[in-house]
This record gives sequence, C-alpha cells and structure tokens, in this order.
Amino acid sequence: MLLTDYHLRLVNLAVISAVAVIGLNFAFGYAGLISLGHAAFVGMGAYGVALLTTLLGWSSWLALPVAVAGTAVVAILIGVPLLRLKGHYLALATLGFNVSFSIVAANWIEVTGGTNGISRIPELQIAGHALSDERSYLWFALVVLAASAIVAALIHASRHGRAMIAVRDDETASSMTGIDVRRVKLAAFVLSSVYAAVAGGLFACHMRFISPEDFGYAHSITYLAMLVVGGEGSIVGAILGAMLVTFLPEWLRFLGPAYLAFFGLFVLAILIFLPSGLAGIRWPARLRRNGRMNIPGLLAASEEVRP
Amino acid sequence: MTDLIQLLINGLAIGSVYALAAIGFVIVYSATGVVNFAAGQFVMFGTFAGVAMLLNAQLPWPVGYGAALLAMALFGALFFAVLYLPLRASPVVTIIIGTVAIGITMQNAALLAFGSWPFRLPSPLEGVNLTVAGATISAHAVAAVIVTALMVALLWLLFFRTSLGIGMRAVAQDIKAARLMGLKVNRLLALSWILAALLAGVAGLMLGPMWFADTSMGDPIALKAFAATIIGGFGSLPGAIVGGLFVGLSEVLGASYVSSAYKDLISFGIMILFLLVRPQGVFGERVQDRG
Repeated sequence: MLLTDYHLRLVNLAVISAVAVIGLNFAFGYAGLISLGHAAFVGMGAYGVALLTTLLGWSSWLALPVAVAGTAVVAILIGVPLLRLKGHYLALATLGFNVSFSIVAANWIEVTGGTNGISRIPELQIAGHALSDERSYLWFALVVLAASAIVAALIHASRHGRAMIAVRDDETASSMTGIDVRRVKLAAFVLSSVYAAVAGGLFACHMRFISPEDFGYAHSITYLAMLVVGGEGSIVGAILGAMLVTFLPEWLRFLGPAYLAFFGLFVLAILIFLPSGLAGIRWPARLRRNGRMNIPGLLAASEEVRP
Repeated sequence: MTDLIQLLINGLAIGSVYALAAIGFVIVYSATGVVNFAAGQFVMFGTFAGVAMLLNAQLPWPVGYGAALLAMALFGALFFAVLYLPLRASPVVTIIIGTVAIGITMQNAALLAFGSWPFRLPSPLEGVNLTVAGATISAHAVAAVIVTALMVALLWLLFFRTSLGIGMRAVAQDIKAARLMGLKVNRLLALSWILAALLAGVAGLMLGPMWFADTSMGDPIALKAFAATIIGGFGSLPGAIVGGLFVGLSEVLGASYVSSAYKDLISFGIMILFLLVRPQGVFGERVQDRG
C-alpha cells in the first residue's frame, strides 16, 4: 500500500464513518426513521470513551463497551417519546436533539472542556502493541468494520431485520401481522445508536482529541447523505457512500478553493441521476459476467429491501 | 424597566427576521411539500445581495434594496428549476439532502465571492435612535418590526384577495385537483419559491445591520426558523409569525436573564416539548397524513 499518512488518515475516517452509516441504515434504510441526530450518538460514544479514560483513568477496552451501553440507554430514553413522531417531524425533533447535544457539549466546560474539547485520549493497545500510527489503526478499524457489516447482514437476514423493513413499507399492515411496531422502531433506533457509539469510540481513540464541532448536526446530515448516496437499505451501499462522501472533497481539490461549492453540486447530481444510490447502479452485463465485482448479489440484496 | 423595553424591542426585531424566514419555509412547504434545509442560506444570500448592491456597487439604498430583492427573486426561480423540478418526485429524505447539498454550494459560493471577513451592512436608519420611556432603541429595530408587519399584510392580501394567491392556496391544498381546474400549477409552484426567496431577501436586508454579516450565518438562522415553525405549527402562516417572535424574544430575554451560553437551549427545548406534547404546534396543521 503506497498511501501517504494523510490518505491513510482519510481512509481511517471513512472506515469509522462507514460503521456509523451501517448503524444509520438500521434506523433509516430498514425501519424508515429519518434521524438527523446520529452525530449526537457518535458524540456520546466518543465523549464517553474520552471522559472514562482521561478523567477516571480506565482502560480504553473497558471504556468502549461502557460508553456504548450508556449511549444505548440514552437512545432508549429519547427514543420512547420521539419515535411517536413520523417523517419530517421526527427529522426536526432528532435535529433539535443533536443541536441540544452540541450546546451542552460546548458549554458544560467543567466536564467536556467546552469548545476546547478533550485531548490526550490514550491510544488503543492490543497485546502490548500500541495502535499509534495510521496503518496499524487501519487494520484494526477494518476488522471492526467487517464485524459490524457481518452482524448487520445477519440481523438483516433475520426476522428482526425483515420486521424493520415491513414496518418501513407499511406500518398498518405489519402491525396486523402481529409485529409490535413501536418495539421494532425502538430496536432499530437503539441498534443504530450502538453502531454510532462504536464509531464514536473508534474516532476518539484514533484522533485522540475530540471537540463539539466533530458531532454537530451537519455531521448527522453527512451520515444521511452517505447512506442515500451509497444506496439506502444496503450495507454495501452504506460503506460505498461513506467512502465516496469522505473522499469526494479530496478528489475535487483540483478545483481549488471552489471544491466545496462543487461538492454540493456533485451530491445533488448523484441524487438526481442515481436515485437508488451507488449500490443501485445497473452495471453493464459484461462486467457482471466477468464476476470482477459480485454485482448481481449486491443488486439482489439491495432490491430485496426496495419496494 | 428601561432594560426590559429595550430587550423586548430587540427580541421582536430579531424575531421578525426569524418569522419572515419561517414564513418563506412554510409557504414552500405547503405548496411543494419540500422541507427546505437551505432556508437559512436563503437569508444569508439576502444579506449578501444587500452587501453586493449597497457596499460593493455603492448604489443608493432604495435602488440597492430593489436590486437585491430582484436578484433574490431570480435566485428563487433558479432554485425552482435546478432543485425542485428534477427532485419533485423523490422521497422526502432525498429532497432534504438535496436542499442541504445546495445549501453547502450556496455557502461556499458566497465564501468565494465575499471571503470570510464579516461585513457591516448599513441601514438607511443608521444612527437614528428613539427614546421610549427612558430606553434608547435603534430606529432600525423598530423599522424591522414594522416592515415585517407590512409584509405579512401584503401576504394576506395576496393569498386572500387576489386570484393568484387563491390559486397558490389551491395548489397547496390539492395539486391534482388544481391542475384539473386548469390552473398553471408549475407557474404557481415557481411563484412560491420566488416568494420564499423574496421574504428571505427582506429578512437578510433587515438582519444585516443587526448582526455582522458573514457567510456562515445561514445555519443558525435555519435552526431558529425550524424551531419557530414547529412551535407555531408546521404549515401554518400565523404559526410561523408567532413562533418566530417567540424564538426571537426567548433568545434575547434568555441571554439576558438566564444564561447567554444556554439561550438557544430554551427555544430548542420548547421545540422538542411541543413535538412531544403537541406536534401540531400552536396553530395545528389540519392535514393528518402529511408525515
């Protein structure tokens, strides 16, 4: 791998985002819940790990599961009242949740360090070997991503995953087949927050410095954009979307200072011309037969969840 | 007491700006069903249209204001053609992300054109102050409240006294029926985007002298407009006004009496409370299955 440290850092960030986006796929892709508060859950995971390791001196390996569990509890507490809302009401409520999280993180200075954030988060160690450089961290992050994707695929294939998709497609019909709609929605929401918290913990251990602006509502929208660009309802799409949206600004850098303005137009063009995302692209038959990419399987997986 | 009067006027002035942004948001939502996440960038464009005409081109203010509003109307039409037409049949989330993407483009285009240095947009009432019961109030703040009231009156005339406005309301109610009745639906939809851009233009021109104008001012305004919309009632024009004024007042009074750091939590806390207890807001949305 002839990548510079800077590019490896971007790949790491894309992999961490991919974990969060696979989580968002449960809430939005499967259960159809528009959540604009995903970054707040990522932030809770990150702040949980950062506080437990720096303030209490815990080991990262102990802090991670505790932070994830804490985030899941918060997701249950806010999910029970908020998930009664639908569509853009839910979108704006979760957005308000994310904004509130940012305000608290930026102003509760005694605990969160305010806008200065928390630094000197200890690095992860595996069997006495510190994951201090980008390359070794990437291997670890890829293992986590693979595990996340496999667990997500298993849930998708199980009756729980199918229940989520049924709820998204028709709430009334699925409740008549005996599905507890509220419970399925809550499960999808909490599952998405667990993935988000794992991503947040990975982020904190990788950057070793976090601040409120890493978890603003704009990041929630970015996660949603990654999922829609990749193709919602598809795990491969979630990963592709996270990669593309992380690297697109980089590839547009040749445009000079205008690259971010073009970034918006690019995303818009993808939404207009690829309405089912990257995972929904109809590849030419030749490519499919060669089997260079397992597109048919991919297509079948993404079609299964699409009405 | 004098402090309170001053705070109330300032809160009403900033609230008027939020109300105008929220009205634009509501008009577009009712007519086209689009939740416009670029609403804050619309207001930012309004302020910078003012900067371009008044500061860069040095036009006298009546001409400059007119030119800025004309530019905003053209922008509204462009937005309709580039964003709404291609995405109109897409799911809600795709449109939300589409408006966010366009918002990013708008913000960075403004950054390229004007730089990150903040501007001070002058007011025609620069330096004029009024004294009410011992409190010194800037005439611009009072004018902002009056202009908003005037805009609301004009909107009411448009929607309830002209065939154009009645057509727009018909499209908002049932687009298919409106088309069957022979209304030029696309033209009326375009008009609602133009109207939203114009209202954002007025809001931006009024906001410029109250805040320092910089290209990142759009997002906080959008968030306040969303909060105003939810508190007042999604899709309701009187709701947008009441919600906007409430958010402005809670921001100014909260910053002064509670905590300047947590002033925004008040409006968002109340917004979330409304969503949980009365999601239809103060002036409820009649249609049940909008969500």
